[in-house]
Amino acid sequence: MSTTPFPHAGPAPPSGINPWVLGAGLSVVVPLLAVLVMNLGRDPHSIRSPLVGQAAPPFSLAPVGGGAPLSLESLRGRPVLLNFWATWCVPCLEEHGALTAAARTFAEVQFLGIVYEDDEARTQAFLVQRGSSYPAVLDPEGRAAIAYGVSGVPETFLIDGGGRVLEKHVGPLDPGTIATLIAKAKGGPP
Amino acid sequence: MRQPTLVLLVLAAAPSLAAGQPSPEPAGGTEAPRSRPLSGAELDARTNDIGGLLRCPVCQGLSVADSPSSMARNMKSEVRQKLAAGYDQEQILTFFERSYGEFVRLEPPIRGLNWLVWFGPLAALIVGGLVVAWIVRRSQRDVASAGADPIPSDLPSRDTLPADARLADAVRRTRKLAYGWPGGIPPEPRSSPS
Repeated sequence: MSTTPFPHAGPAPPSGINPWVLGAGLSVVVPLLAVLVMNLGRDPHSIRSPLVGQAAPPFSLAPVGGGAPLSLESLRGRPVLLNFWATWCVPCLEEHGALTAAARTFAEVQFLGIVYEDDEARTQAFLVQRGSSYPAVLDPEGRAAIAYGVSGVPETFLIDGGGRVLEKHVGPLDPGTIATLIAKAKGGPP
Repeated sequence: MRQPTLVLLVLAAAPSLAAGQPSPEPAGGTEAPRSRPLSGAELDARTNDIGGLLRCPVCQGLSVADSPSSMARNMKSEVRQKLAAGYDQEQILTFFERSYGEFVRLEPPIRGLNWLVWFGPLAALIVGGLVVAWIVRRSQRDVASAGADPIPSDLPSRDTLPADARLADAVRRTRKLAYGWPGGIPPEPRSSPS
């Protein structure tokens, strides 16, 4: 007499895994693993900007300290380094010196700061205190920031003389990164 | 200090926005508004609807309509201005998508790999259901074929005795020992339940 408590359960299953179950499991697990491995080295915050390669969104914004609005259109003809920043943003303070110096060094590139979510008086005081070598414009409702897909500061866009976005950089810039960007604007290695 | 030469404002911008205010260009770039300009309660309601379809880029999984951040507030006012200018929902979503990428849409459009997101779970459910149905049917069929004769019919009953006389005698004696009656279980249940 058999010792199995279920005498009608049929023969005991063969040892090892049912190939059907194995196949089904692998077909789910392998793609997931592939996606995981492919994205292991990627920074989850660096979503490539869809603007790269496209026409830079136009804007016309009032400069800090008053004056006629400054438009992107008016800067056509030479590369523009467009930097979104704010006085309350600590990394922006870090890169301010590098940007000010680079704007003096690379006179062939127009540097332009767009002030994001900040107050004009505070910005002006900041620029007087720390010095500036390029214009800054105000974006009171953040409309330019939205048009450029900015989700935090600092973010920097490199625009060529024809008004096309060449590159987007998220986070603070250092002199080396600025030089690399500008070399790219000039269409060659640094 | 190097100031760039100032050129004329591009006032060919959005028709309703060019009220002397410096402003970025309209929604779909050169596209004309496809809907009618909204106002009043309808504008509020539609702003909220479309805000609910947009991801707040600085939040964790919140829509622009639900987020209190200033970024979301700005995006909401952008939506509002575009609706007031007559842009339709798709034009507005496309405008945000152009700068932020598809990521900004809380509901991914049904195209390309997004088909998987929309219909993958349903397909998995159907396939899973089919597999379960198949397994159940197979096991029922196995039981039906194996269970055609579930209990062997040649088991001795309590009233039969082996043909061999010595075995029959042993069985009778065992029954007598076990039940107090040689025919197996007594014909009447024993009265003392203790």
